[in-house]
Amino acid sequence: MMDIILNTGSTVYQGAIIKGGNKFTEGYTREAGYCNINPEDFDALGKPWFVRVTNEYGDSVVVRAKKTNTQQKGEVFIPRGIWANVVVTPDTESTGSPKYKNLPVKIEKCEGPVMGPEELMRHYYVTGNKSADSYNSLKYLDKTTSQIGSH
Amino acid sequence: MISNVVKQDLVKEEQGVIKCTDVTCPVCGMSCDDCEIELTPTSVTTKNACLMGDAKFQELRSHHRLVYPVVNGERVSWEKALDTAADILVNAKRPFFFMGSETANEAMAVGIEMAEYLGGLVDGNATICHGPTVMAVQDAGQVGCTLGECRNRSDLAIYWGCNPADSHPRHMSRHSMYMRGFFTEQGYQARKMVVVDPRRSPTAAQADVHVQLKPGTDYEVLDALMTILNGFEPHPSVEEVTGVSPEQLHQVADMVKNCKFGVIWVGLGIASSTGKHHNASIAMRLTQMANKYSKFVILANRGHCNVAGFNQVLSWTAGFPFAVDYSRGYPRFQPGEYSCVDALKRGEVDALLCMCADLGGHLPKKAVEHLMDIPVISLEIAPGPQAFVSDVILPGVLDGMECEGTFYRMDNVPIYARSFTKPPFDFTESNEDTLKQLLKVVKEKKQKY
Repeated sequence: MMDIILNTGSTVYQGAIIKGGNKFTEGYTREAGYCNINPEDFDALGKPWFVRVTNEYGDSVVVRAKKTNTQQKGEVFIPRGIWANVVVTPDTESTGSPKYKNLPVKIEKCEGPVMGPEELMRHYYVTGNKSADSYNSLKYLDKTTSQIGSH
Repeated sequence: MISNVVKQDLVKEEQGVIKCTDVTCPVCGMSCDDCEIELTPTSVTTKNACLMGDAKFQELRSHHRLVYPVVNGERVSWEKALDTAADILVNAKRPFFFMGSETANEAMAVGIEMAEYLGGLVDGNATICHGPTVMAVQDAGQVGCTLGECRNRSDLAIYWGCNPADSHPRHMSRHSMYMRGFFTEQGYQARKMVVVDPRRSPTAAQADVHVQLKPGTDYEVLDALMTILNGFEPHPSVEEVTGVSPEQLHQVADMVKNCKFGVIWVGLGIASSTGKHHNASIAMRLTQMANKYSKFVILANRGHCNVAGFNQVLSWTAGFPFAVDYSRGYPRFQPGEYSCVDALKRGEVDALLCMCADLGGHLPKKAVEHLMDIPVISLEIAPGPQAFVSDVILPGVLDGMECEGTFYRMDNVPIYARSFTKPPFDFTESNEDTLKQLLKVVKEKKQKY
């Protein structure tokens, strides 16, 4: 397990997915569920296909590992999205803005796969912390919900 | 009245095909107003829109558009959905009103009115975006200008903690780098470009100088630059602390001194990093100091459509730019206490109305966990994390396409966004109309208590 700095941010491809309303598609996983890693760190991690990123609260998420020259040693990048936000901490230094950048995390090689968006939402927000039975109502939309044509 | 004049000139409908020019793009803070649309019953063709803008315009004919109201996962009538939403809000002790950015000022004004009427908290996308930069404007003051001035005058662009090649794809080609302006006829050949970013981003790859600082050391680098501009040498430890050599700092300082019109574009690399508003404050003070040598301005690359508009609307209604609490009947401003992430993290909010934003997708996990515990009402156009955490979904209307409105561009210039088509339902005309109908039901219920 390696201590590392996490930066998150937008990419134009991730932006096109979310602006097009395709957040519950495989495209969102492809464009936001990865982690850019410096070649030296990538080799030190054991040339992983997948990495687990864990924050100080113990929350962790699995994302695809990408070896890139765009990162400095000791720093990784995950695009803005639901994968990154599992580990982004809510401490705002009294500004309202959470730590989307310069966040100390731990990173390690792990087995995949990366959870899809709807699976991730269910895992972390329905079954992850509380049982599904504790919710009286059906709070979420099913992923097959496609209202056009059904009215 | 103005929309009728505009419609005659710019919107043409022939044989079921709508063609419209000068469409305002409702995606990022640039509000590009030169888009062209050709809309058929089955397809959307765009001109001048970027990848993100095109994706947004394709929503007009997408297969996943939410077109009827949903309560607890079940389809209901519009009246039932409004009634349920009003019940949730009226019965809440500390309701939260989140005014997202992908809608017009007119709708935000109604949302803020509802927050004031019910004594709730109100916040907008600025809180998770350039909120710290807005705090820095209060702290240090901003030397600003319009995007047009940057286009026509600037010969030095410093992108600090931002990556417009990804976040604002037309930024450099329309306003800051590659286009020719009135006093910048040579275009990019007469401009210099500095990027300050720990990553070798696509923007940094185009720069004359890439200052690759260590993450979280923006304040130190800005401070060292101010020291040099004041005629002193920075402390020798600056390279060890920031990863930037004194030689490179001097190179940037010389570019600042010798330019005719410089612009610092600040991004979330400053606002979201350690130091937050202090980083943005010192960047603004550096800008003020640079005016000793040349004309220099600082502008924030606002990321979401009308995120600047929320700051403007709340400022002229409450006197504060974001994070306002109306629980005592008058507005109080306290980022870190009344701001969205903090209020949700502490678990004090017991109902939330979210208009045109994806809190489920963009807030940290600890905040989203609380969203799952409380009733959430959303104005939403597509399935996704926000629909996932919502109890009541009121179908949203696409501002700037299906209804007209006003957006504030990233330089705080209001831009009129015209409509060229209608929503695919008839129970509401706009998000403003939806909130007005909801407010009416809320007032009826509140008066019964």
